[in-house]
Amino acid sequence: MTGSGQPSAVSRQQEMLTPELQAVLIRKLTALADDEIILAHRDGEWTGHAPILEEDIALANIAQDELGHATLYLDLRRALDGSDSDRLAFFRDAGEFTNVRLVELPKGDWAFTMLRQFLFDAYEALWLDAARGSTYAPLAEVAAKAVREERFHLQHTALWVERLALGTEESRRRTQNALNELWPHVAQLFDPVLGEAELVAAGIVPDLGEVRVRWEGFVVPHLTGKCGLLLPMTLAEVAEGRDVHTEHLAPLLAEMQGVARQHANAEVW
Amino acid sequence: MTQPQPTPDTQWPRWEVFKQDAPNRPWQAVGSVHAGDPDHALLTARNVFARRPSAVSLWAVRESDILTATPEEIAARPEVLETPGEAGTYHLGLKRTHKRSMTFVDLVGTLEASGPGDALRQARELHPDALTWLVFPESAVVRTSDDPGTVESWFAPAKDKTYKQQQYYGVIGRRVGELKREGKMPGRVNEEPHVGDHKVYDHPHDRAPKVQR
Repeated sequence: MTGSGQPSAVSRQQEMLTPELQAVLIRKLTALADDEIILAHRDGEWTGHAPILEEDIALANIAQDELGHATLYLDLRRALDGSDSDRLAFFRDAGEFTNVRLVELPKGDWAFTMLRQFLFDAYEALWLDAARGSTYAPLAEVAAKAVREERFHLQHTALWVERLALGTEESRRRTQNALNELWPHVAQLFDPVLGEAELVAAGIVPDLGEVRVRWEGFVVPHLTGKCGLLLPMTLAEVAEGRDVHTEHLAPLLAEMQGVARQHANAEVW
Repeated sequence: MTQPQPTPDTQWPRWEVFKQDAPNRPWQAVGSVHAGDPDHALLTARNVFARRPSAVSLWAVRESDILTATPEEIAARPEVLETPGEAGTYHLGLKRTHKRSMTFVDLVGTLEASGPGDALRQARELHPDALTWLVFPESAVVRTSDDPGTVESWFAPAKDKTYKQQQYYGVIGRRVGELKREGKMPGRVNEEPHVGDHKVYDHPHDRAPKVQR
């Protein structure tokens, strides 16, 4: 996942960050990247198994895009602390990953996969849209680049959720079940990392509360109005942080990291 | 007079995808997708056909709205030129060569016709040397939007991406070669060139001897 050298604008920008802000930014970038890596892996599990060939290709493309976004975030982190993206992705254990629990849940059926991706795409597209205005120019650039792909993902998954919800009785039932199962997990997307308020105050990252308002303004009408789904009663609040995972993450990592760990000295795998 | 019940076709309809690489270039048939409706066809077409190569516009046309014929088919079944349908503007596509393996038909323009058969007849008169003619009504086309937001999210990301050159994959082969020289690999492994290092697909017509005239 190593990219090319960073533009000198990064080093100029990072000099403007206090050590405290740098530490929080590193934590935030890692959390953003971890969400993308784990979700990409879950999407990748459909490769060769999606309902039709065209969707197999489409979801693999989405997974690659998400991994690409993770690379962008980890490159930003590398510019701050010199960390190695590949080691972060392939040699950390479940306890060290900081993804939200939403993305690590097993892939489920197609309705579950499309609905999860829709909920995440809407969050990511709106977060990136706001992050284009970051006072930290390297992040603003990354957001401007990634938001284009994310808008397209959102179109794709919004279309699928609508068709599944309004399709057959079976597809409606499965979509509603997926919503019931996923909804309690979405609040964690809007749970800031430790110290994030300082990044927000410095204009470096968007305020998650504002993103959440926009997210609900988009997602809720789509699910209930357009798709006729029933929203579970409340958006549950988050009781535990990004260091607490379900039992599903460790097996995912075992598979995702297997080759890298078996051939730790390989230059290319 | 009861007919045996046909097996129900559960496949979604097929849509032919036409891609425009750049402004002022023709839309070209690049392949097909299966999709339940026009929007789904376009979204899938973008993922399948426009993720890497540059593109500025995609069209999708339901396969059942397209009439195609070769000179041989018209000779065998001239009634294809009577195919009824709506009058109006028809798009005309031509296949002119067997040489290219990826692109079979370029759209070359429109004509006014009383139906698909008439459009095909006009196409044959205008372009008698084509290998295949293809016509479909303007009303059958679904297009990606030209607005900047769509162009940016559908097509701009591909511009920053390049194909990984085939020889890059040779790195894996070289790695194997190193292991082999160190005596860590069985002898026969990778003695044949890696398939990724070479052109994989040769179209039979590329090898055909030139006809002497």
